[in-house]
Amino acid sequence: MKIISVVSGKGGVGKTTISANLCAALRNKGHEVLALDFDPQNSLRFHFGINPSDEGGIVSSGFQSSRWKESIIKSNDGCLVLPFGKITESERSNFEQAIATQANLLKEQLHSLGLSPEAYVVIDTSGQLPFLKQALSAANLTIVVNIADAASYATIPMINGAIGQYCEGRSDYVGSLYILNQIDRSRQLNEDIADIVSMQVGAENIALVHQDQSIQEALACRTNIHAYDPNCRATQDFSDAASKITEVMSGISQSSAKRNSF
Amino acid sequence: MNSNPNVNKLGGNISGRNNWPLNLLLGITAILATYLVVTASLTQTEQMIFGLFAFVSILVINKQSWGHTRIVVMIVISIMITSRYMYWRITSTTDFDTPLDVFFGWGLVLAEIYTYFALLLGYLQTIMPLKRPSVAMSLDQKDWPIIDVMIPTYNESLSVVRTTILAAKSMDWPADKLRVHLLDDGRREEFRDYCNKVDVNYLTRDNNRHNKAGNLNAALQVTNGDYVLIFDCDHIPTRSFLQISMGWFSKDPKLALVQTPHYLYSPDPFEKNLKIHNKVPNEGMLFYGLVQDGNDLWNASFFCGSCAILERKALMEVGGIAIETVTEDAHTALKLSRKGYNLAYLAIPQAAGLATESFSGHIIQRRRWARGMAQIFRIDNPLLGRGLGIFQRLCYTNAMLHFFYGLPRLVFLTAPLAYLIFGAEIFSASVFEVIIYAIPSIFIANITNSLIQGRFRHSFWNEVYETALSWYILFPVLLAMINPKFGAFNSTAKGGTNKEDYVDWKSSTPIIILLLLNCTGIVAGVIRLTADDVSDQIVATIAINLVWAVFNLIIISAAVNTALEARQIRKDTRLSRKLPATINLPDGKTIVCETVEFSQNGFELKISQPLDLPRDSKIMVSLFRGDKEVVLPCAVKRSGKTIGVLVDELTTEQQNGFVQTTFSRADNWINVWNVDSKDSLLRSFGEVMKYGILNLAPLFIHAFHDSLLSMRKKNQHKPFTKS
Repeated sequence: MKIISVVSGKGGVGKTTISANLCAALRNKGHEVLALDFDPQNSLRFHFGINPSDEGGIVSSGFQSSRWKESIIKSNDGCLVLPFGKITESERSNFEQAIATQANLLKEQLHSLGLSPEAYVVIDTSGQLPFLKQALSAANLTIVVNIADAASYATIPMINGAIGQYCEGRSDYVGSLYILNQIDRSRQLNEDIADIVSMQVGAENIALVHQDQSIQEALACRTNIHAYDPNCRATQDFSDAASKITEVMSGISQSSAKRNSF
Repeated sequence: MNSNPNVNKLGGNISGRNNWPLNLLLGITAILATYLVVTASLTQTEQMIFGLFAFVSILVINKQSWGHTRIVVMIVISIMITSRYMYWRITSTTDFDTPLDVFFGWGLVLAEIYTYFALLLGYLQTIMPLKRPSVAMSLDQKDWPIIDVMIPTYNESLSVVRTTILAAKSMDWPADKLRVHLLDDGRREEFRDYCNKVDVNYLTRDNNRHNKAGNLNAALQVTNGDYVLIFDCDHIPTRSFLQISMGWFSKDPKLALVQTPHYLYSPDPFEKNLKIHNKVPNEGMLFYGLVQDGNDLWNASFFCGSCAILERKALMEVGGIAIETVTEDAHTALKLSRKGYNLAYLAIPQAAGLATESFSGHIIQRRRWARGMAQIFRIDNPLLGRGLGIFQRLCYTNAMLHFFYGLPRLVFLTAPLAYLIFGAEIFSASVFEVIIYAIPSIFIANITNSLIQGRFRHSFWNEVYETALSWYILFPVLLAMINPKFGAFNSTAKGGTNKEDYVDWKSSTPIIILLLLNCTGIVAGVIRLTADDVSDQIVATIAINLVWAVFNLIIISAAVNTALEARQIRKDTRLSRKLPATINLPDGKTIVCETVEFSQNGFELKISQPLDLPRDSKIMVSLFRGDKEVVLPCAVKRSGKTIGVLVDELTTEQQNGFVQTTFSRADNWINVWNVDSKDSLLRSFGEVMKYGILNLAPLFIHAFHDSLLSMRKKNQHKPFTKS
C-alpha cells in the first residue's frame, strides 16, 4: 500500500480538487486507488459523483476496520472512495480526541483495510493540526499543494516543519512533491513565484497544474477532469504528476523503502 | 561516423613530421610508380585491357568494407588512370591541322588541365575529413572568457534581425561575460530603440567604408572581449552555440578561429525552383559537410563570415577583418594562417539562416564570392609568401581556383558543338583511342567522387550547379585577375515573396543560349549522320559528340529550370517541428496539442479533435522548453483539424520566450542537417533528368505566354511583386 497525503498550509488552494484528480489520473494509469477524505468538510465525494444523500464515512464508522471497509464506495471511474461522513457534534469530539491521543491511528486503520501492496491511498487532509499529524505520520509521500501567490508561498516553511517532524527519518517515507495549482504563466507574479519555489525545493520536486476552466466544469458535472476533458492542459498536468508519483513510489511496496528524492 | 585518429594530435603539434626519412622514401617510390604507370607505352589493345582492368578493380574495391582504406585506394587508382589520360591527351592528341582545330582543340585541353588539377586538389582536400568532436568547457565558469557577439546589419528588416538578437542573448553563457552588439551600418533609429529596449549594445559609425568588414573593424575598436563571435543578421544561433564551440580554444592555445556550418533553413533557389528541397543535398552541403571538414585535417579551414568565433588578440594581430577584398572572411583566415595560428571547423550546426531568395540574388552572391577569391589569388596568393605549410597552400589554392570553373565549364558545354556545327577536329585521335583512354578515367573519377562526396552532393549535380552560374562568375574572376580593385560590393537580399511562378529571362539568357546551341548541334549532327557519304570513322566521331551534346543538354536543362522562379507566397520560412504546446481559449478552456510547424510569426497546431474557431479570434498559446513555458497572444487564421495562428504584437519578454522555445532550441538543426542521403550514379542521373529535361514544359509555356504579352507591348506586365 502506497500512502500519499495531500496537505497544504492554507485553505482554498484546491487541495480536494487536486486529490480527486490525482486519484483519477492514477486510476487512469491502471492502478488500484483508494481516495480517503480526511477532512470534516466531507467534500471529496462530490468529485466522484457520489450521491449527496449517502452520508456514511469513516467518522460514523468509528475505528473498527471492518466498518471502514463497509463505508467504501466504488465510483464510476473505478476509484474506491472513503468519505469522511456526516458528523454530529458528539461524534466530532470523540473523533478528535481519538486522533489527538493515538499518534498512528490513521496508519493502523489503513493497514487493516487489507488493500494490495500496489494500491495507492490518497488522503485529502484537513488543515487542522491533529488531522495533519495523522496524515503525515501515515504518509509514504506527501503532496504539498500551493497556489502561486504570496500568502500560499509564505506557508511553505510551516508545512515543511511538520513534514520534518512527522515524516522525515522514517524508512518508508520517500519525499514530498510540491504542486503549484491554478498556475497561469502569462502572469509575471505566477511566473516569479514558480521560479522561487522551484529554486527552494528543486525543480524536480515540482509539478504544475494550470488554471483551467475544465476543472470547475468537471466538478459541476460531478466527474473528474480525465473523463470530462481528456485533451485539456489540466488533464495533461495531472497525468504528468501521476507519472512522477508512480516513478518515485515504484520501490515502496518492498519492505525496505529508501528515501528518494524526485 | 568513425572518428579520425588525427583528432587526438590536435592542440599539440599537428604536422608531426617525426618520421621524415620513411615519408621521403615512400614519396619517391610513389612518384616513380606513378611515372611508370602514366608514361608506359601500350598498344591500343593493351590500353583497352588496362582500362578495363582498372575499371573492374574500382567496381570491386567500391564494394569492399575496408573502411577508409577503400577511399584512399580508389583515389590512388583514379589519380593514376586520369594522369595517364592527361599525359596521352597532351602528348598524343594535340597535333591539330587547321587554326580552327587549334583554337577549339587547345581550348578543350586547357579546360581539361584545369579539371585535372581541380580533381587532384579535391582528392587532397577530402581524403580524410577530420570530424573534429566538440570539447566540453571547464566546469568552473570563473575561467570562461568574455565574448563579444557582433551582428552586422545594413538594410535588413528588424523582423529578420530581431530573432537573431534575442537568440544571441539567449545563448547559455554567464550573463556578465556575454555582450551582444548590433552593428548597424543603416544607422536606423528603429534599430537603436529596439536595442535599448532589449538591452543590447547598438553601434554605428559615421561612414560605410569596406562594408561588412569595415563595420566589424569599427566595432572591434570600441569593444574589448576576449573572443569575437560573428553572426550575419539572419543567422539565428541555438542556446548551445557557445558551449559547443568554445571548448577548443582552451585545448589549443594557438587556435584563432572556430567556424561552424551555415545551415540554411529556407530553400535556396536551386531547391525552391527545381523543387528538390530535401530530395537532393543542397549546394552548400558539400562545402560545410565535406570540404571544410577535409580542410580541417590540413589546418586550412575557412572563416566564412558568420557563425564563427575569432580570438580577438590573433585577429588584431592581422589588423582586424581583412579589407583588401570582397571576401574578407576567407582572406582573414589566410592571414591568420600565415601568422601561424590554427583554424578549426566544427561540423555541428548551431545556427541557421536564410538562403538567397531568388536565382538573380544567388548570382549576385556568387559573383561576389568568385570575385573576392580571385582578388585574394591575385594580391595575396597562397602559393607564395611566408607562413604556410605546403598542404595549407594547396587547400587555399584549391578554394580559390574553384571559382575559376566558369570558363572550363563553358568549354565543356560547347566542345562537342565545335565538331557538330563547325566540323573542327578537337581530338587528333581516333574515336576508339578516345574511348579507351578517356572513358576509364571519367568513370573511375565519378565513382570515386560519388563514394567520397555522394552523401553531400549527388553525382552530376555539381555539373548542374556550375552550369547555372558559370557564365556569371566568368567575368568577375577575369576582371579581378586583371585588376583586383574593379567592381562594387553587393549585399544579398533574403526573404522575399512572389505570388506567381515567373521566369527570370534576364538571368537565364546565357543558359538558354547554351541550351539552344546544344539543340542546334544535335540537329546538325543528326543531319550529318543521315548524309550518304559518311564513313564509319565519321559516324563514330559524330556519335560520340552527339552523346556528349545530349549529356550537356540534360545538364543545361536542369540549370535552366533554376531561372523559373517558383511562387513563394509566404514571406516567412516555416520549419516542420513537433513541439509541445497548449491552446488557451478565451473561455478558460485549454487544449493540449503540438506544433506541426512554426515560423518567426506564427505556427500551426495539431489538435486531436477538430475545432472551429472564428477567424481572427484571439487565443493564447503556450510553448515549452524544459520547465519553461511562454504564453503568447495569437490570432486564429485557420481552424479545423489543425489551427493556424499568427502571433500578436509581443512584449519583449514574450518575444524572448518565443525565440527560446522555437528557433534557439539546442537540437533544432542537428537532426535535419546532413541526413544520410545515399548517392548512386544512375539514380542521380535520373534525378537530373527528372527535374531538368523531362520538366521543360513549364518553361516553354512561360516563354510562349511572356512573348505573347511583350508582343502586345503592355508595359504594365510586372509579374514580380516584392513586398
